[in-house]
Amino acid sequence: MKNEKVFSFILTLILVFTMGLTAEGQKDASADGSVRYPKGNFDFVAPGGAGGGWDLTIRTTAKVLKDTGLVKVPMPVRNNPGAGGSVHLTSLQEKKGSDKIITVYSSPLILTQLNGTTDYGYKDVTPLACLIADYAVFVVAADSPYKTMNDLLDALKNDIKSVKIGGASSVGSMDHIQFLMMAKAAGIENLDEIDYISFDDSATAQVLGGHIDMFSTGLSEVLGLINSGDLRALAQSADHRVGTGVVAQIPSCVEQGIDETFVNWRGIFGAPDMPEYAVEYWRKTLAEMVKTPEWLDACITNGWDDAYLDAPDFDVFLAKVNENYKTILTDIGMY
Amino acid sequence: METLSFLLDGFMVALTPMNLVWVTIGGFLGTIIGMLPGLGPATGVAVLLPLTFSMGPTAALITMGGVYYGAMYGGSRASILINTPGDGAAVAATFDGYPMTLKGRAESALAVSAIASFIGGVFATICMVAIAIPVARFALKFGPAEYFMLFLFALSATASMTEGNRLRGFIATILGLMIATVGIDGQSGVSRFTMGILELQSGIDFLIVIIAVYALGEVFKSFKNIDTGNVNVQKKFGKIWLSKEEWKRSVWPILRSAPLGFFVGALPGAGGTMASLMSYNNEKQLSKHPEEFGEGAIEGLAAPESANNAASVGAMIPMLTLGIPGSGTTAVMMGALLLLGLQPGPMLFQQQPLIVWGLIASMFVGNIILAVMNIPLAGLLVRVLSVPPKILYPIVLGLAFVGAYAISYSVMDFYLLVLFGLLGYFMSKTKFPATPMILAVIVGNNMEQSFRRAYKISDGDIGIFFGSPICLILFSLTVVSIVYPLAKGLLKKKASAVA
Repeated sequence: MKNEKVFSFILTLILVFTMGLTAEGQKDASADGSVRYPKGNFDFVAPGGAGGGWDLTIRTTAKVLKDTGLVKVPMPVRNNPGAGGSVHLTSLQEKKGSDKIITVYSSPLILTQLNGTTDYGYKDVTPLACLIADYAVFVVAADSPYKTMNDLLDALKNDIKSVKIGGASSVGSMDHIQFLMMAKAAGIENLDEIDYISFDDSATAQVLGGHIDMFSTGLSEVLGLINSGDLRALAQSADHRVGTGVVAQIPSCVEQGIDETFVNWRGIFGAPDMPEYAVEYWRKTLAEMVKTPEWLDACITNGWDDAYLDAPDFDVFLAKVNENYKTILTDIGMY
Repeated sequence: METLSFLLDGFMVALTPMNLVWVTIGGFLGTIIGMLPGLGPATGVAVLLPLTFSMGPTAALITMGGVYYGAMYGGSRASILINTPGDGAAVAATFDGYPMTLKGRAESALAVSAIASFIGGVFATICMVAIAIPVARFALKFGPAEYFMLFLFALSATASMTEGNRLRGFIATILGLMIATVGIDGQSGVSRFTMGILELQSGIDFLIVIIAVYALGEVFKSFKNIDTGNVNVQKKFGKIWLSKEEWKRSVWPILRSAPLGFFVGALPGAGGTMASLMSYNNEKQLSKHPEEFGEGAIEGLAAPESANNAASVGAMIPMLTLGIPGSGTTAVMMGALLLLGLQPGPMLFQQQPLIVWGLIASMFVGNIILAVMNIPLAGLLVRVLSVPPKILYPIVLGLAFVGAYAISYSVMDFYLLVLFGLLGYFMSKTKFPATPMILAVIVGNNMEQSFRRAYKISDGDIGIFFGSPICLILFSLTVVSIVYPLAKGLLKKKASAVA
């Protein structure tokens, strides 16, 4: 009988322990209106799974803020993944006015609304600052016949079905759209006939193995394989050369006569109707953070380009990007 | 020779006192986290992330590695004792592990699980030292068509799992495939069967279905006689060890499943769940007494346990050699590497040999520590069976809900959990087998997407599915595994008709 009690006790302990683990950062403390801010824990949220781009960005931000002492209160990070970030976006609508929640978003914030995944968009969060930019890169296997972006686009112009393009997101989302923008600028009209194959996690192994002709992805996703020469980058989508070493040798699309750029910006956002004092605090803090050597180091390791924009400029930028994406989605009949 | 000297260097790293402490802590935490339903290695590594910031990259990797294979040791504990798999890789351990417990052989089940995990892990680590690069290159030959054939082969296992009630098994399989179609379809961007519910757009996580059908289903089933008492309560416990006979029956399945698990683990996107299910099916087909499978055959537990541990080692290969995450857990580990300032990719072996070889050496060390740690731990855990159902089942329910919530922090999963729990209960009442449904939920989406990817790549030419030797081999295996049980059944019928 004694055994029974001990065991139910231990099991209950485990139960309570796991609840503690999973409930981490779930507390919703409301602001008390005093000027003392920040107070208590922040609630940092990655709207995607652990190990993804958003996760990496917000964890890096939290780490730099802590290492540099810019923010002294705890900043535990949790993940709230689902539907390309839309699940978190919806749950944010129930946290209107919160000064605790700090989250990260990038291009999908706009795309998911345009392609109908969610009713909410960039107007339903509070932009605090744009931090970094990653750029699209179009990579082929080292033994691919395509040497330049125009080789590939010419092949498409001759036979729209001859080039199979892969990406890590579904049709109508970022990996797809970023390539279509280039194809359109190069004069290809039947954009909806281009074969785009969606892979769940990464199409890196597929392009290495020669199963698809080209992989449309973000530069930071394939840095290692570009550096080692296993993958050849046909072009990147910035308006300038980025990075160092092998990466700096990748020509931009603009240089190859394709007059288009694509920026996968990543920025920090608060909940909708975030109080004024919190917005001020974060605009100031993030402006300081991007100047620290710790942040610059993190950018170099991750292949991020500095794209700092303060909240008002970020707002203007988001509205512009929204119009650009709308045009492309209309062309392929998804808007 | 060069490899061996690197490995020696690696051992120098792994055997420093601090790293020994880390691998032990990692392994222990992994075992505990793995035991809890829903909390698998990916969650475990993610929870540890902030802790690893203060370590060096080597210690961080070694700790996370410890959590990963620790979770493989721990994952099957709950499968064996309370029919509640901790994660996908531990599903196969319920098939024969839980029946063994019901027959009062929980001690042997726990022992074989620890031993098989140990052998699988060590074997795979040796393979990794010897052939990591060629394996990584070979894995690249798997395109959508090859993956489709692989998933089809895995699904064909349902044929042998449904002997006796084939129609019911077939219906259960279809049901599972239907569940797997829920969510955004990547190839068209269209939402399917989400009924306007946002949370369903990412699909229904197979872990939810597994926890619901096994844990909740089990609780619902015993609800009726929960007060009548101590029928299932075990009072006396033996030593956690194997008899000679049991060892003899397990040794070959363990040795056969290790290389299979290692290779399937090294394929990006396949992973421990697939590896353990495939090895289970293999052993059932090879066995001289397949009728004992599902009734507590020790081979049916030894094989998947060896395979899933080997798979967790294999999954490190694409990460370390190519910078491609091979599984959910390695994706989180790669994120951690980046946070620590390392760039995973083909250059990692050259640029940071000490880190990589330190990790590999720590896998040897970690597996030994885990095996030593797990046998006494199992002796403690087995006493869960002495807890009367009216105390145990509420706890199982609580764990199931916490575990389900931990998967994607979504309240929606609670509703799904209850819904599928009821489904599991009614299926068992009406004698529909749950396992084929679970298997279909696990492979369904991947199988369909692979098919459509291949079809798009070939411009609609079905020939792509028979275009490579890998496809042909997998297809033949599929045909054999469907026809063989059928033919055997027919032969038996004939034989009994003659007699």
